[in-house]
Parts: sequence; structure tokens; C-alpha cells
Amino acid sequence: MLFPTATFAIFFLIVLPLSWLLMPWVHRWRPFIIGASFVFYSWWDWRFVVLLAGSILWNQLMAVRVHRAAGQPGQRKMLLWLAVAGNLAVLGYFKYYDFFVSSTENLATLVGLDIPLEVRTIVLPVGISFYTFMGISYVVDVYRGDTEPTTLEKFAVYLSFFPHLVAGPIVRPNELIPQIDTPRSPRRVDTSRAFYLIAAGLFKKVVISSYLAGNIVDEVFANPDQYSSLEILIAIYAYAVQIYADFSGYTDIAIGIALLLGFTFPQNFDSPYAAVSIQDFWRRWHMTLSRWLRDYLYIPLGGSRRGVVITYRNLLLTMLLGGLWHGAGWTFVAWGLIHGVALCAERFWRERHGTKPEETFTWVDYLWRRLVTFHVVCFAWIFFRSETFGVAWDMITGLFTRWGQASPLVTGPVLLAIAVGIGSQYLPPRVPRAILAVFSRLNVVAQAAVLAVALMVTQALGPEDVAPFIYFQF
Amino acid sequence: MAVESDRAGEVGPRGPLGSPTEEGRQFSTAARALAVTALALFLAALLNAQSIYKSVYNQPEGTQREVALAIAGPLREVSMALRLDRPRAWVESAIGREHATIDTEIVLPPPLPAVTTPTGGPGTGTPVEPTNGRTPTAPAAEPEKVAFSPERKMRLWVAGDSLVITPGYAIYRALGRSAAVEKVGDVDGRVATGLTRPDVFNWFRHVTEQVEKRTIHTVVFCFGGNDDHDLMTGLPKGVSLDGFGGPKWTKEYRRRVGGLMDIVNRAGGFVVWLGLPVTDDDAQTRRWRLINRAALAEAQRRPDTVAFVDMDGLLSKDGEFASYLRNEDGELLKVRAPDGVHLERAGGDIVAREVARRVREVYDLSSWRNDDGGG
Repeated sequence: MLFPTATFAIFFLIVLPLSWLLMPWVHRWRPFIIGASFVFYSWWDWRFVVLLAGSILWNQLMAVRVHRAAGQPGQRKMLLWLAVAGNLAVLGYFKYYDFFVSSTENLATLVGLDIPLEVRTIVLPVGISFYTFMGISYVVDVYRGDTEPTTLEKFAVYLSFFPHLVAGPIVRPNELIPQIDTPRSPRRVDTSRAFYLIAAGLFKKVVISSYLAGNIVDEVFANPDQYSSLEILIAIYAYAVQIYADFSGYTDIAIGIALLLGFTFPQNFDSPYAAVSIQDFWRRWHMTLSRWLRDYLYIPLGGSRRGVVITYRNLLLTMLLGGLWHGAGWTFVAWGLIHGVALCAERFWRERHGTKPEETFTWVDYLWRRLVTFHVVCFAWIFFRSETFGVAWDMITGLFTRWGQASPLVTGPVLLAIAVGIGSQYLPPRVPRAILAVFSRLNVVAQAAVLAVALMVTQALGPEDVAPFIYFQF
Repeated sequence: MAVESDRAGEVGPRGPLGSPTEEGRQFSTAARALAVTALALFLAALLNAQSIYKSVYNQPEGTQREVALAIAGPLREVSMALRLDRPRAWVESAIGREHATIDTEIVLPPPLPAVTTPTGGPGTGTPVEPTNGRTPTAPAAEPEKVAFSPERKMRLWVAGDSLVITPGYAIYRALGRSAAVEKVGDVDGRVATGLTRPDVFNWFRHVTEQVEKRTIHTVVFCFGGNDDHDLMTGLPKGVSLDGFGGPKWTKEYRRRVGGLMDIVNRAGGFVVWLGLPVTDDDAQTRRWRLINRAALAEAQRRPDTVAFVDMDGLLSKDGEFASYLRNEDGELLKVRAPDGVHLERAGGDIVAREVARRVREVYDLSSWRNDDGGG
């Protein structure tokens, strides 16, 4: 079930009142919201529900066993590894099996060996990367003593709660389980922020992202050798805006829907294209994944505490695996590698030349740092979006070899959509704050009318068929 | 250990209702949230009633569609009576988009006699006139190919349902490298459309407009992926159908396929018709093979002006669906998308090679290199 569809609107109109009606009786609310979440998930394919249920049972079982093994460090560690291995095995099978088999076969062919392996047509269950990471973080947090195992029912709500189920944000146990513990207050719902996030998210996805995909990005990335350097450059910028609008649009809607149900999710994006360094970018882009990778991968690897070389290795490894998390393909690995190398280079520079505090930045500092960061990020997006290295290479070489040719794809609306997508990230926070303050004081009819017009304009400007969110495939 | 009461205490920010938060906005109650949500969706439904009706009307037939129409119909009437459909129409006309209307009229050239003999040949821009009385045969002698060059380029258009998108880009890639070829716009792939439901998208009108408006020498079509069901709209008066694949259904479907081919042929264009590929669903593959049979039969009636490319054969392994195929270098490549229906880039490339071969059989795209001594 996609958020920007009539099906979801009907689903939510049923779930919202029932959720609040049942909220005071948490023992009734929890099975209800689990059921609703499973219905939401089964809309793609009912068979996926078995996988989700299996993930819930496995992680709860392992968390309880890890907790019970207190005082037996060896057994606890073994149980933790078993839990993580179980999660990764399922993820690996569904997401990476064909990738590794075909890569192995091709490598073998390259060196003259004939190793016939069987590739299968494995359907990737929607959201598996997200709920697998959430399951792992639950067991690891229990192992670390950061949280205690909760009941199976509460854990099932935590893992399957439909607003975050298919594309995050990746919510930590200690952020959501306490909210599931006790009923949310129906008297203080942050509706104005919720509606703002939902409306803004829909506009980003349906209008900005879809427009750029359909009017320049898909065409140029399909056949880069047939477009001018200017078209290629603008297509790269357009993709940077498209993926931001698509993914942050999804999480805005998810956070808004959760707010209407009385729950608070962590922020997932914070104006990433205003970042002044790659490190800063990762504090602003897909923030819940960044901190997951930091807390459950980078730090356990040793972080920056075990010497310079190990730190660089950890940075590279974290970003490589982060790349592979996004997709089973070598281009995603290359994307992660570029970010890893950039993070290492920044660290090297800081260690050699020291760090200039941001408070002392002049506008020139901001300008060049933001420009450099944005272009490094865009360079990495070329690999992220390209289906093969050949396409990425054509994009890069095309950037330099076909200047001066006609560029019919570079149109006013395309440039406007890019400008809106990037410019919105420089909007002072006081502007939306003031709009929300005014909106929150309107009466019910006026609020509904404003939202209805926003929905109408969004739908009128968007294409007839809205493509699935990019991050659904991850 | 604390026992959780059945009705637990509420948790959340406390304080008088309507008190501002630190950011100046006011909280509200869940009841109000629900009221605003429901009212906003209702008003938005009225404002978008015309397009909602169209998308409901376009759904596959069945109970869900009937129920949805029973709601969307009156909603549209109310919207139009209150003139609430106007704001969206203004927005759409401001951005140059047509307001949602349902168009089921199919205008096709007169049915083709038994055979066609091109008087001008494809690509010459001269209309191909049908000639009565002969059965289709291959030309006795190799006809001279129409030559294109960088000065006079072959104009290529790719159109169809969603299945055409990936091969379409590959075809543009394969043929577009030639300086003697020019693309006519982007790949015109329209999701969830086909030839049975002009109400969803009227391809007959669209193709007629395109060939009238633009000079097009070659058109690559792919249709049928959404046509494997009983319902057809836009039927001529007096025509009734049996079920999908039945004689009446097939006759009408062939009339549409052939009509679309004729629209292009009469404008002097050559058609490459992509048959539907094998899928990972056996039942779907069987249905699609019926559609392929109809398209192939119509292509065979126009041997000089239509080529049928068998995607089913190109993308199957021993007649069965295959996600991965080896290329000529022995490299294992993913050719099919995870949905088991659409194509991956490598699959598109396989189809594009065959399309390029068929186009080069008809058109000379390379002799200009010899003329100027270039390579």
C-alpha cells in the first residue's frame, strides 16, 4: 500500500479513529495496530507477512535468551552472534543471493573456470532491510543492557508499526517501545506539524521527484552518450534533488502519520544539501541509518579509538557496507566507497590542518564548503543511479566532451524544480514555524480547506501514475 | 513487578488543551485531528472528483470497480454541480495539461484487404496504398533499401505500455548512436495502458496525432501487457464480445492491432511490433502468447511494412522464463526485473539488437559513410 494512494487514504481513515478509540485500552490497541500493520504490509504480497512474523518471533526469542543469559558472557555473545547471523542470513538470501551467485559465476568465467551455480528469481520483500536492522538493534541493545526485552506483543508493534515499516525511519527500541508502553494522550496531538509534513512530503514525492524523473533523469541515465554535457550535468543535479524529494518525502509522510496516531519518530533529514562537509552530510542525510551504522557497525569495529589506520579502515568498511545495504550491486558498493574515501580524506585533512569551528565561518567558507560537499555527493550519486559502471563512465566522460551541443532537456520547469528542491533546504526554520503557528490556530473547516487545496494542487501537478518510492527497493 | 492495568494512564505532553508549544503552534485533540483529516480528504475528493472518476473508470472490471464507480459517479455529479471541479481545471490548463476526460472513440483506417504492396515503401513518406486481390508474399527480389544519412535522418519513435520503456531506451541506445538516426521524443511508454481500454489512454487517437504532426519513419510498438482480460471499451456499434481469447474478442483485438499498424504504414512509416515476453507466471504467459499470436497474424498480413520481434523467444531459456541469460561473451546477466514481467537493461539490449537488425533489413543507415569516405 503506497502512501499517496486512495487505498491508503481509506485504510488510514479507518485506522485513525479506531486507533484513538482503542488507545486507552492498550491490550486491545496493540493487537489492533499489529493487525492493521499486517494488513498494510500484506497489500504488496501476503507471503511477506510470514517473513515479518518470523522476524518478530526470531528477534524476540533471541532478545529474551540473551537477557536470561546474564552472567554468562560467552553464551550471551554466542546468542547475539546467532541472532545477528539469523537476521543477516534472511536478508542475504532475499537481497543478495542472486547478486553473489552471478558475481561469482562471472568472476569464475573471467579466470576461465566453469562453475555452474543456480540463479533464482527471488522477490525482494518490501522493507526487509529496514525491519531487519531494527530487529538487530533490539537484540544488540538488550545485549548491551541499553534496554530490557519487552513483551512479544509490544515488540511486534515496534517492528511492524506501519508508518515506518517499509522505508523507515529506522526507529530505535528506546525511542518507540516506551511510547507503545502506555497510551498516547488524545488531548495534545501535534496535528499542524503532522499535516504540514504529510502535505510537504506528498508535494516532494508526487510533484518534484516525479517531474524530474520523467523529464530528464530517466532519459539521460538510460542513454548518457546521446546527451550534451549540460544535459548530463543538470540530470545529475536533478537526480540529487529527485532522490532527496523522494526519500525525505516518504519519511515526512511517515513521521506525519505517526504523529496523527500520537507517536513521535526521529527526524530523518535535515537539509542535507546545506552540509559543509561529507561528515556533516551524513549527520543530515538518512540520519537514522547513519546513526545505526555508527552505533552498530562503526563503533563495534573500534570506531576511532584504535589508531589512525584502523579508523580509516572502519570508515571505509562502514560506508562500503552502507552502500551494499542500499542495493545488491557493485555500483552501490562504489557509491559507498566514494563516501568512505571522502570521509577518510576529510579526517586526514582535519588531522593535518586542524578544524575551523563553524561559528567562525565566513560566507565564503560556507559557499565553497557547501559547493564542494554537494558536488562530491553528486559525483557519488552518479554511481548510485547508474545501472552499470559503463553507464556511470558514460555519464562522467559525457560531462566533459559534449559542451556546446543543443540541450532540449534543460528546460525552465526542470531548472525550477531543481531550484525549489535545493532552495527549500536553505529556508530559515522560522518560516515553516510561522506558517504552522498560523495554521494551528485556524478552525477545523479552514484547516481542512487548506489541506484539500494543497492535495488538489499536488495531484494536478503530478503525473497520473506515481512511481513507487525509490527506497522501497532497498 | 507492576501489573499493567487494562486502561493504562495516558502519557504525552500534558497541559491545557490548545496551549502553544515552544514553537508557537497549538496542539489539538485526536477528535479534531480526525475531523480535519476526514473533511480534508472529502473536500479534496470533491476538488479532484473528475480525475478520481476517470481513474476508477479505468480500473479492471469487477466488483471493486463497480463499488468505486457507485461512489465516484455521484461525487463527480456533486462536484460539477457545485463547480468544485473548476479549480483543478484552472490549474491543469495553467500548466498546459488536458482536463481528465474519458475518450473511447476509436478511429481506424478502413480494414486492410488481403495484401499490401507498398507503392512508395517505408520511409519514403509516400503513403502505402493497399492493393486488392493478392495474398501476402515475400518480395521476389531484394528491394532497394531507402537510405538515410546525417542530412536526412531516419526518425524513430518508440511507444507502448510499460513493457516498452526499458527496451525502448535500449533501442534508442542501439540505433541512436548512428548519425543517420534521430529520436522522436522520449520513449513514449504509458503505464497500465493498452489497446483494449481507450478510456484509460486512447492510443489510436494519440498515434494518429503523432504521425500527422511529426515525420516518423520507424515506429516501435509494444502493446498487450494490460490487454489480457475480457473487457474492451470503444467497441463499434453492434459488436459484442465473447471472453478473452474467444473468436469475437480476437477478431476485434486484431482489428485494433492491424488498425494501429495501418495508421503508421499509411503515413509512410515502418512498424516494428514487439511481441510480449515470457513471464514467471505460466498462466500470464499463456494469455500473452494468445495476444502475440494475434499481433503476429496482423504483422504477417503486412510483410513489407511491419516486422514482428519475438521477445518471448529472445528472452526465454529452453522456452521457459529466465531471470538471467548469458551474453555472447558468456557473461551471466540479469535480464528480467524482479516482478518477473518487465525487463532489465541487459534484457532491453537483447531486444534492441534484434530491432536494430530488423530495421537495417529495411533501411540503409550506413552507406552514407562510404559516400563521404568517412567511417
